[in-house]
Amino acid sequence: MVRVVASLMVALAALLPVAAEAHGPSRQKVVSKIEINAPVDKVWATVGNFQDMSWHPAVAKTEGTGGNDVGATRKLTLQSGGVINEKLTKYSAEERGLAYEITDVDVKVLPVTNYSAQMNVSGTAEKTIVEWRAAFYRGFVNNDPPPELSDEAAVKAVTEIVQGGLGALKKKFEGG
Amino acid sequence: MARAHRIFWAARLQVGQFFFAVVSLVASGVPGSVWAGEGSAASAAYVTNQIGNSLSIVDLATEKQVAEIAIGGKPAGIAMSPDGRSAYVAAPDGREVIAIDTASRSVIKRAAVGKGPLGIAVNPTTGAIYVADWYEHRLYVVDPATLAVTATVPTGQSPSGVAVTADGTTILTADRDSNQVSVIDAATFKVQSTIATGERPFGITIDEAAGRAYTANVAANTITVIDLKSRTHLSDVPVGLRPYAVARAANLLFVTNQHDESVSVIDAVTLQPVKTLRVGGFPEGIEADPTGSTIWVACWDANTLEKIDVATLSVTARIPVGEGPRAFGKFLR
Repeated sequence: MVRVVASLMVALAALLPVAAEAHGPSRQKVVSKIEINAPVDKVWATVGNFQDMSWHPAVAKTEGTGGNDVGATRKLTLQSGGVINEKLTKYSAEERGLAYEITDVDVKVLPVTNYSAQMNVSGTAEKTIVEWRAAFYRGFVNNDPPPELSDEAAVKAVTEIVQGGLGALKKKFEGG
Repeated sequence: MARAHRIFWAARLQVGQFFFAVVSLVASGVPGSVWAGEGSAASAAYVTNQIGNSLSIVDLATEKQVAEIAIGGKPAGIAMSPDGRSAYVAAPDGREVIAIDTASRSVIKRAAVGKGPLGIAVNPTTGAIYVADWYEHRLYVVDPATLAVTATVPTGQSPSGVAVTADGTTILTADRDSNQVSVIDAATFKVQSTIATGERPFGITIDEAAGRAYTANVAANTITVIDLKSRTHLSDVPVGLRPYAVARAANLLFVTNQHDESVSVIDAVTLQPVKTLRVGGFPEGIEADPTGSTIWVACWDANTLEKIDVATLSVTARIPVGEGPRAFGKFLR
């Protein structure tokens, strides 16, 4: 019964004409970094290509336009079949960093709203640190969220994406 | 005019504070153009840490956090009593207003207020507390002694920032999802008028010297300048990405840009850009010291309270505070 009510609330939330960019009261944060035994330029060549996110295990396909110019877009099709649309908001080859926002995602795919993130790459010819910082609100924009669209659910889902991605990068460059 | 001000800037940055004082005197010939710093310097900042569920107290002289009080409820909004003895926090998740005794640095009272209390301000003459409810689209009038709600005023959708004029007669709310400011009579609690703003106004600041109010418009990347006397929209001024709130010091406006790690500095008279300062990630709550010499900024992602020197337009301190500082409101005392 509880689950039925929760599902109904999700369905209703999807139907309600909520104001664009409305969101919950508390922005959430996920920050993670990983050290990779590989040259910084090599890692940045991968992370810094906004048009190819194939290094992330959850991503099946990247399609986009605009290259690495601010304003470039990409559509990520996930292994699960879900779709995330993103826009590049900042890019610096010198500082080896980029920032992007999710412009459109179904909360059933990723239970967040107003998601933005940045990836920063630093290091040497031997060692690289990749830092991923994400800021977002929960999937439910109104009060009293169902559990699957709560602050906690949003943090859990983003943590999985961030840590899964960083782990995959390390594996990609270190082998094994 | 704009060019002259830019030249002032170049000179000021090189010659420093003494020259700044001279420039200020010269510029004061322009009617209503100069904000004269008044009052003594603030001694402490009270920073709401939303993720950390706490309130950081920062000693501004030593530039150090001296206490972090557990608050709960994902605190965001902050206001001070006129005598500085109490700080009031709005906690939207806890649905509470929390009163803190600034001398003992402890919670002295907490009370349920609405369903999404976020923005909060205090009437400087009566001490009444005003709390905007993000979900219920109204402003509550709260008794500072009991924290009981004594009146309710309907506003536009998702009221966010709240500000009160220095004479205590008028309350302004930035109604985020109605793209407007509500002007409320503080005696009758009637909405007297609404003023259109840029898209999604969040923070609202009153500039008494200029007779203006400013909203930071999150979705438009602008600030709206409002004339308080005529209650009209004067202009929209471009700033950085996702502006949060505005502060004024000397002849300048400072705007926190959440998605830019920056503070836009705007000439308050010409409304032309002066400089963009790099600060910590997600700068949010911002307030000018009463002397006008310093601006304080809470950086949500960096977990810092940062100090901007107004004379040199540089960041001179980054003070670690709790997790996810927002400091939405007046947080200096």
